[in-house]
Amino acid sequence: MKKNLVLSLMVVLSLLVPVFAVSADGAETLVVGFDQNFPPYGYVGEDGEFTGYDLELAAEVAKRLELEVVYQPIDWDAKDMELDSGTIDLIWNGFTMQGREEKYTWTEPYKEAGQIVLVAVESGIKDFAGLEGKNVSVQADSAGLAALEDEANAELTASFGSLTVVPDYNQAFMDLEAGAVDAIVMDIDVAYFQIEGKEDKYMILEEFVQKEDYGVGFKLGNEELRDKVQEALDEMAEDGFIQDLSNEYFGYDSCTLTACVEAAKSK
Amino acid sequence: MPLSVILAKLSQGMATSFAIFSLTLVLSLPLGLVVALIRLRPNRPIQAVTRGYISIMRGTPLMLQLLVVYFSPYYLFGIRLTPDYRFWAVIIAFVLNYAAYFAEIYRGGIESIPVGQHEAAEILGYTKSQAFTRIILPQVVKNILPSVTNEIITLIKDTSIAFAIAVTEMFTIAKAIASAEKTMVSYAIAGLFYYVFNFIVAITMERVEKRLNYYR
Repeated sequence: MKKNLVLSLMVVLSLLVPVFAVSADGAETLVVGFDQNFPPYGYVGEDGEFTGYDLELAAEVAKRLELEVVYQPIDWDAKDMELDSGTIDLIWNGFTMQGREEKYTWTEPYKEAGQIVLVAVESGIKDFAGLEGKNVSVQADSAGLAALEDEANAELTASFGSLTVVPDYNQAFMDLEAGAVDAIVMDIDVAYFQIEGKEDKYMILEEFVQKEDYGVGFKLGNEELRDKVQEALDEMAEDGFIQDLSNEYFGYDSCTLTACVEAAKSK
Repeated sequence: MPLSVILAKLSQGMATSFAIFSLTLVLSLPLGLVVALIRLRPNRPIQAVTRGYISIMRGTPLMLQLLVVYFSPYYLFGIRLTPDYRFWAVIIAFVLNYAAYFAEIYRGGIESIPVGQHEAAEILGYTKSQAFTRIILPQVVKNILPSVTNEIITLIKDTSIAFAIAVTEMFTIAKAIASAEKTMVSYAIAGLFYYVFNFIVAITMERVEKRLNYYR
């Protein structure tokens, strides 16, 4: 009876081994560290597998470098320890470069993110100066509101005629359509998503209220791998992979790599 | 995400949780006994070592111990870590931690046996080790079962801490699904999984207790 118990326990345990036997050995894999709670950059997809804009880019980079991609969700607070000790090769996760420039070795920023101003085309507002005395709307408890309340934007915020805080962006768009407000401060990705197909009615001002650049972060000094990844990214920019993927995820070409800009010029 | 996928994903996580749970239990129960026996030795320096060990294991958070076990080979000795080590670091940290608690439970159990029994066994010609394994230990096991059950139940819930070093057990997966799907369903199912598992543990332990209750 006791023997049977021990035996069956061992059988169960041996069945479990493949569950945690990660097939990674440094040289042939690209271990991507990411926060799995960060859609649309890295998250659990419909089919239960990890997916996201950044993860798909990483997978393509790995493919071009002939490495096996390993998605390693990490505890975000332990990311530096993970990177330093080599348990992950890089962090690719809508990873903001601002304020971290000196802490990691970075690729070029591949995407911009942050808070922008969306206006109705017919309002004639072309830049921040045009917002003077206008009615601006922003969602309650949002990053947009936080950006406007930031000291760096004190002057801009003070120039508004009024700042209306609405419970959700849906309402802000209804206000904008009805002419109750002239501009909305919101996240760039959400903005592009909202104006898709209505580009003749709405436009996004070029200036950012608050801008972030996303890059791929490596352990400080790991230029070797960084250069390889950068090269693969440039290649992906030249053949349009990044642009297509961005269109799929965000509804616009968000690529900010030099190679992307040049590819766009030559078109 | 269809419910079947959520269930499949959570079951995968449950397998990892269960692996942590069973390995920890199988390894820490004997280790705890060894620690308890050393702790009860009259030898002062050895006693001090086990005392210090128990004190540290109980006095610091398990999450911190996980980080130390996992990252210290790199930070202290410069050894490059392999991905497989994640899981084993969890097991090492859990076993060390739980063995400390079990040691104290064993010690309480052993000390509760009247000295007279040791003396009687000696007179009857039992050697010290015979007396311990045949007379003392069976009684100890019987007496400490309720406390051990407590620890076992805590253990399965503690497995959710393993994500501190990126081992994706069930709760981590539940969290990821919740954030991707904006639904609390995965939490509810995870809660149910834990509850059912612990329910089975409680019932099993109750049965074992009854079986060992041979004097009544």
